[in-house]
Amino acid sequence: MYFSLIDRITHLEPGSSIRALKALSLAEEYLQDHFPRFPVMPGVLMLESMYQTGAWLIRASEDFAHSMVVLKEARNVRYGGFVQPGQTLTISAEIVKQDETTTSLKAQGELDGQVAVSARLVLERYNLSGRSSEPPELDEHIRRRLRENFRLLYTRPAASSQVADGSPAK
Amino acid sequence: MPTQAEVFQKVQTALVDALAVDEADVTPEATIVGDLGAESIDFLDIVFRLEKAFGIEIPRAELFPEDILANAEYVKDGRVMASGISELKKRMPFADLSKFESNPVVQEFANQLTVNDLCRYVGGKVGAN
Amino acid sequence: MRWFWIDRFLEFERAKRAVAIKNISLAEDYLTDYMPGYPVYPQALVVEGLAQTGGLLAGEVNGFRERVVLAKVAKAEFHLLARPGDTLTYEAILEDVKSSGAICRGISRRGDQIQAEVELMFAHLDDRFQGVDLFEPAAFLGMLRQLGVFAVGRKADGSPLDVPPHMLQAVRG
Repeated sequence: MYFSLIDRITHLEPGSSIRALKALSLAEEYLQDHFPRFPVMPGVLMLESMYQTGAWLIRASEDFAHSMVVLKEARNVRYGGFVQPGQTLTISAEIVKQDETTTSLKAQGELDGQVAVSARLVLERYNLSGRSSEPPELDEHIRRRLRENFRLLYTRPAASSQVADGSPAK
Repeated sequence: MPTQAEVFQKVQTALVDALAVDEADVTPEATIVGDLGAESIDFLDIVFRLEKAFGIEIPRAELFPEDILANAEYVKDGRVMASGISELKKRMPFADLSKFESNPVVQEFANQLTVNDLCRYVGGKVGAN
Repeated sequence: MRWFWIDRFLEFERAKRAVAIKNISLAEDYLTDYMPGYPVYPQALVVEGLAQTGGLLAGEVNGFRERVVLAKVAKAEFHLLARPGDTLTYEAILEDVKSSGAICRGISRRGDQIQAEVELMFAHLDDRFQGVDLFEPAAFLGMLRQLGVFAVGRKADGSPLDVPPHMLQAVRG
């Protein structure tokens, strides 16, 4: 998937929290420009990976009820360290509060146990047909495509054979 | 000339905006780093907001006495010596250094700055009563 | 995907303010899937466009000698989603430049609508990153020229911005 800033969802607690990972590779072409002599994950892509992680938590929690789950606000996005090719960022997000249309989350990205980025995010969710003249079929189409993308990112653990975080039960 | 209460309000607002904390968290005794979660990049943000709110200039060395803390004359084995403590007191008369004095570990210095210290610092600059 | 999120500067007033534009085209490959079935311009890339506008403005204050990186987004508010065919206009206002970094306010507009507003902080990479260069000098200068920094750039007295001599020297060798 182009512009998926997460590679795998490792832990999902609907309505509550999520963990995902982003593996950074030299194969990602934009790194040639950021920076030519010091390739590191751009800060805004770290923000995007936190937003995408939060968005999947919301979608999975409401069974993809809304086609659009968008970033409304980001606050206090602080960068603590660089992510370099070959490193993997572990992103976590948890819901702080939620109403009919917005969700506030606390999110962070960790690298080897250190916080590389943290932020407070507000995400808004809606269907296009509710807000514009787009037909409901478009929302249905988007939701279906999103479910397919979700399956690429998350393998739901079987009840008996795996624990919630995807690792085999002991 | 602003009152101390007005100074506190503006300092509180600056910290709420810079650190995304609630007003209720910004009590006079709260430490900027420990209690309010400030990191080094936040200090640039805090300093700028205070400068703008009060129309003052905040030279970095007055709030962050890195030169004293890095000086071999004043620091030994990661601890600030008595000579260094008196330099810090001279540089930062607004700060309550008593806690730091009891365990003057250089790394801990930034952690003991409180909201009150900031209010007294700013208050001194604007002549608050 | 390249990492250029502005296309051209329209205005560039040394140490004060800069305006740049970003065209959004369906030909940008990542839009095929973002979002699936309904292409929208990622808000994070709006932040980057504003950061590039403001970051180059901040960098020019010191003749591009400092290595300027985005260190904090104090606040970002997004009012609408930009779409292919839109042109976003980014206005960056430099609030302050200190030795440790810079603070800038940014506004993204689509026509006369405010699309997003941000408060950004940049840090100048310090001695912990001694010897680390970000850019190759000739390519960086080429990029600044391509963006029109020296074509539209003005100093406070209205005279045109010049290429800093140390950059010309680095290119000539």
